[in-house]
Amino acid sequence: MSPTPLIETSALTKRFGRATALDGLDLSVSDGEVHGFLGPNGAGKSTTIRVLLGLIRRTSGSAHVFGLDPWTDAQMIHRDLAYVPGDVSLWPGLTGGEAIDLLTSLRGGADPQRRAELIEAFELDPRKKARTYSKGNRQKVALIAAFARPARLYIFDEPSSGLDPVMESVFRQQVLRARAEGATVLLSSHVLSEVEQLCDRVTIIRDGVVVESGSLDELRHLSRTSFRVAGIADVDAVRSITGVHDVHAVGGSVEFEVDSDAIPAVLAAVAQQRATAVTAAPASLESLFLRHYSVTR
Amino acid sequence: MRAFLTILGTQLRRDRWVLSFWIAGIAVFGLAVAAAIAGQFADEADRAAIVAISVANPAIVFARGLPDGSSLGGVAFFTGFAFTAVLAGLMSTFLVVRHSRADEETGRAELLGATPIARSTTLAATIVLGALANLVLVALLAAAYVAGGLPLEGSLTAALAVGGVGLVFVSVAAVVAQAMPSGRGANGASSALVVGAYLLRGIGDALGTPSDDLMRVTPSAISWLSPIGWGQATRPYTEPTLLPLLLSLAAFVVLSGWAIALRSSRDLGSSLVPERTGRATARLGGRSVVGLAWRLQRATLLGWLAGSVVLGGLAGGLAPVIAEAVADNASLSALIARLTPGGSGDTTEVFIAALLGIGGILAGAAGVQAVLRLRAEEAEGRAELLLATPVSRVAWVGATSLVAAASVIIVTLAMGLATGAALFRSGGAADDVLTYAGAGLAHAPAALVFVAVTALIFAVAPRVTIALGWGLLVIGFVLGQFGELLQVPEWLQAVSPFFHTSAAPVVELDVVAVFVLLGVSAAGVAVALVALRRRDLTT
Ligand SMILES: Nc1ncnc2c1ncn2[C@@H]1O[C@H](COP(=O)(O)OP(=O)(O)OP(=O)(O)O)[C@@H](O)[C@H]1O
Ligand SMILES: [Mg+2]
Repeated sequence: MSPTPLIETSALTKRFGRATALDGLDLSVSDGEVHGFLGPNGAGKSTTIRVLLGLIRRTSGSAHVFGLDPWTDAQMIHRDLAYVPGDVSLWPGLTGGEAIDLLTSLRGGADPQRRAELIEAFELDPRKKARTYSKGNRQKVALIAAFARPARLYIFDEPSSGLDPVMESVFRQQVLRARAEGATVLLSSHVLSEVEQLCDRVTIIRDGVVVESGSLDELRHLSRTSFRVAGIADVDAVRSITGVHDVHAVGGSVEFEVDSDAIPAVLAAVAQQRATAVTAAPASLESLFLRHYSVTR
Repeated sequence: MRAFLTILGTQLRRDRWVLSFWIAGIAVFGLAVAAAIAGQFADEADRAAIVAISVANPAIVFARGLPDGSSLGGVAFFTGFAFTAVLAGLMSTFLVVRHSRADEETGRAELLGATPIARSTTLAATIVLGALANLVLVALLAAAYVAGGLPLEGSLTAALAVGGVGLVFVSVAAVVAQAMPSGRGANGASSALVVGAYLLRGIGDALGTPSDDLMRVTPSAISWLSPIGWGQATRPYTEPTLLPLLLSLAAFVVLSGWAIALRSSRDLGSSLVPERTGRATARLGGRSVVGLAWRLQRATLLGWLAGSVVLGGLAGGLAPVIAEAVADNASLSALIARLTPGGSGDTTEVFIAALLGIGGILAGAAGVQAVLRLRAEEAEGRAELLLATPVSRVAWVGATSLVAAASVIIVTLAMGLATGAALFRSGGAADDVLTYAGAGLAHAPAALVFVAVTALIFAVAPRVTIALGWGLLVIGFVLGQFGELLQVPEWLQAVSPFFHTSAAPVVELDVVAVFVLLGVSAAGVAVALVALRRRDLTT
């Protein structure tokens, strides 16, 4: 991993009137990585992205993209950047093909061959007026426009919302191709399988602050292990160990989750209680995220 | 029925401020006109003089209304009715489109469409809301007229005549909203019909027959083609009759029924304009911000262009006919000779200058509308897509302002050329074409100021751009047309850019004013460009 971050924010805050959307956000995206950007609804993902694009102005803190200030040097940054918003709104009277050409021309022009390949891969009819496109097809127009001209940095805000599973896999291939070509990707997403497949590192934010950041393996390590144990007489012996959560009975067994540093104590207790069957599994990514998402605010 | 009332209540709630504003605004205007007439022309002889002058001047009849006697009420009705009716028509139009086509376009209607209500329930509720709004307008307007010192029976009739026009345009807009594919298109087409109704009665009235005592004009049959003409036919303060309003009521019932039938049998989101496929790749012009700005404005500009050519053609075509009619009428000619001793008041020129003035407003509207695109682009999320490319905000707004300015120039020039050409056809001199092209163009600088002011509002207060942009244009129009009558102090009248426009060819062009207006416009756009760089993109 290269040491110079392509995107870096520190203590970034953004207030809308009295509402605080970003509250001291530290984000760092290195050159060449696909970086997952996650968090519950209203966490501030889109707001961060808009600040990084220079569409809105930060209230305080610092933000840099390519080492430049996104507010003052927006145009310079946009030369090497492609962006796809979560809710694509197109010009109703323009066809999809015209919208693609407009957006790529403004960035310096598309590679015609790649444009044709993408239209084929995404199965888009470029002659239809944008007014008549479905949500997924509008999304495709913006994705094709983004990929049709290679960029150094791609910023995607929930890019696959509305795409069918086949198109979602086309999107994933394109992201992998962009990374293979050396591009950097910031990907905000709610689709965990997408994040798991594509991202080298992730940042999870909530209420405008980062709550977790690192590679997926590191995060998994920090997370809990699920146990399912049969045949223990005294459940409270397990329940009373600090680091054990969510204890509940299922059929004749007990299920619970364990923080990684409590595992030795739990194993000892389980052995002492003469368990007849034990299954342990690493926490799914899903449970990891659920934990970060659903903590009461 | 419960569902119907719930929807009606929701629509009413959503509109409570907009409608209060419209209704109160129209009523205040009614009160101001009535009070101004009662105050300034308390003397019957003064009123008789002003009516005679108006009857003698078809331009006034065209632009203002139908003279009908020298009573206080008669003069007030003549002065204010046509404009008030246009306002009521626009209020009704925007109300209906807001709740029908515009909601369908944004997808809001889909949520409601999935609830257990009939397909046409929402439209029916909107029509009822429109009728209610006009009813309230009638009540308030009648009260305003009475408060302004006019007799009760006439005031009630006059207010009902205004409400009748509003009612007709509720149903007209309901039909148009079924046909047009977008809210903007539906608003454009129905407002054009409102203005069309105004022009139709203008032609009919200008071609009407003046009475021998020059106290009233009997409109020609053409006025009966316009709902505003029906309103005038109630003659509230001379021989009040509600019979012509039966026409309004019938039109309302038939058109509303038609709209509801169309809605019940139509797919949600579909329109009568078929969607065709287009180009798979963009033309060269479609690959730049200027190209985009032009493309977005093209269809609308064509509409304004058609309007200005029609108006110009009318001005040039009708002027000689009217001048002849005036010349034939001995008492009229005598009056005109007495009024304009120097003889510069050529009926043809005065008539044309008045219509070109209306053309200036049209041009302003075309320019303002072009700038307002910016707000729609921003609010609907397309600006976000555009500004994430290396396009600067300055380039984006600059390109749009350029297209707006071009729209203004095209509309004024087209109107002048059409006037000259129509005059030439009916035996005028070839020079006229150039003269009138220039006379049309003379209105461009004032219209450009509105473009700049709208851009400035967009840069500093994006959320109110649309309301303020149109609002200021209407205020400019009212100050120009009614400022004198309402005794607005001259400095306040002078705030309106149109105050500084020379009514060529009757008046010599004021070159200094032209340059001042152009300078103000340029400065306004420049400040807007700077201010825009300081704010967040706001949806
Ligand atoms: N223009 C605005 N004015 C006021 N508040 C805003 C504005 N834009 C965003 N917010 C608030 O800022 C917070 C963060 O919003 P943001 O859109 O960034 O969330 P998000 O993480 O993208 O959520 P989602 O997953 O739903 O897209 C929210 O509470 C939102 O209501
Ligand atoms: Mg978001």
